[in-house]
Amino acid sequence: MIRLYDYVLSASCYKVRLMASLVGLKLEHEAVDFHPGLEHKSAAFRQMNPAGTLPVLMDGDLILTESTAMLVYLARMSGPEWLGPDTPQALAQVQQWLAFSGRLAASLGRARLHDMLLYPGDIDALRRDGHDALRELEAALTERRFAGRDWLVGDAPSIADIACFPNVALSQDGGVVLDDYPAIRLWSLSIRSLDRFVEMPGIHRLHELRPAPVEV
Amino acid sequence: MTTRWIATGLCHDLPNGVVMAGRWHDTELAVWRSASGKLAAWKDRCPHRGMRLSHGFVRGETLSCIYHGWVYGTDGGCKHIPAHPSLVPPKAIRAEAFSCVALDGVLWLAPADVSEAPPRLGGLRPVRSLSLTCGLAALMAAESALAGKDILRGSVTFGGHAVEICLLVQPKPDGITLHALCGASADLVAVSRWLEALRFKAEEKVAE
Repeated sequence: MIRLYDYVLSASCYKVRLMASLVGLKLEHEAVDFHPGLEHKSAAFRQMNPAGTLPVLMDGDLILTESTAMLVYLARMSGPEWLGPDTPQALAQVQQWLAFSGRLAASLGRARLHDMLLYPGDIDALRRDGHDALRELEAALTERRFAGRDWLVGDAPSIADIACFPNVALSQDGGVVLDDYPAIRLWSLSIRSLDRFVEMPGIHRLHELRPAPVEV
Repeated sequence: MTTRWIATGLCHDLPNGVVMAGRWHDTELAVWRSASGKLAAWKDRCPHRGMRLSHGFVRGETLSCIYHGWVYGTDGGCKHIPAHPSLVPPKAIRAEAFSCVALDGVLWLAPADVSEAPPRLGGLRPVRSLSLTCGLAALMAAESALAGKDILRGSVTFGGHAVEICLLVQPKPDGITLHALCGASADLVAVSRWLEALRFKAEEKVAE
């Protein structure tokens, strides 16, 4: 079974849990005491991942420490349609968004860690960089909508969307409000409407997709 | 005559069954469309605990608060309180409504007692909304072809074509939001990119 070294509040770990659920893969979860225990910085953990970061995905001899690589692995294993269309343009565009998701983590993600877990950082600069990244994403999604498309690449959701979604959806935890980004709002609703979508603290499922609970 | 109507978004950004945050000057609002397309705008504050109703969700013809699930009908009245299922909510529990109208692809807001109709923008095509961290003065300094105050209009040339542009200005505490429309035959992608460039220039004017 594929094992995920996991922390429930981590955007990057959630990225992998969400992908696994969307492609119908069950993971074995190994909870790591990221906060306050700093278990991911321990000598024992660093033997597995010298960078001392979460998540870590282990499947037999394969050890992955970058969440975007994990998305590729899970999609190729169980849902190759999530890799996006097999054209030179689309493959490159997916890579472009996987790299871009790193910028979201370095801005919105860091702002969230600053506000939630008291990480050091220049919060104004982090939020400004976060808005810059959101503007880029908003412009791209706006152009996609002009072409009648809901997703970042191709006609269907792909690992590109899943890579970018968590840090965007959690941005309010870092004091970055999404009110000014209508295309991102609709894109986020599309992702949360997907079959087998899973939630995490801070990203709730869409209650409206199910009928109101019946009172007893 | 100055109009009391302020654009808060474009219709294509608020499909049926969706709620979004809106703003009329300093008043924050929840703007939503029911499943059947009925439009409503209320102060963005649940009468129960003050939670932003724009964080809630639309189910059928009702909007529910995300905090304790209080359910409101399109008339603003509370219809149901999940923690007290058999209680008929008193009529006094209601969201504070604004006037909200969808016209020419634009979502307009005004206080409930507004008497005039929103401005018409016939023949134009909605493009997109985008926010700027600068004020109106910097925007006007960045593009001399635009004239107006709440509604900026002008003919702008890019890509070798003259394009009719209309920008609806929505003030906000830390800048402005523009709701952009263009001539019916203009290329939307080109206009969107021109808007990005305009924002860059306008915000740079402030930094200078």
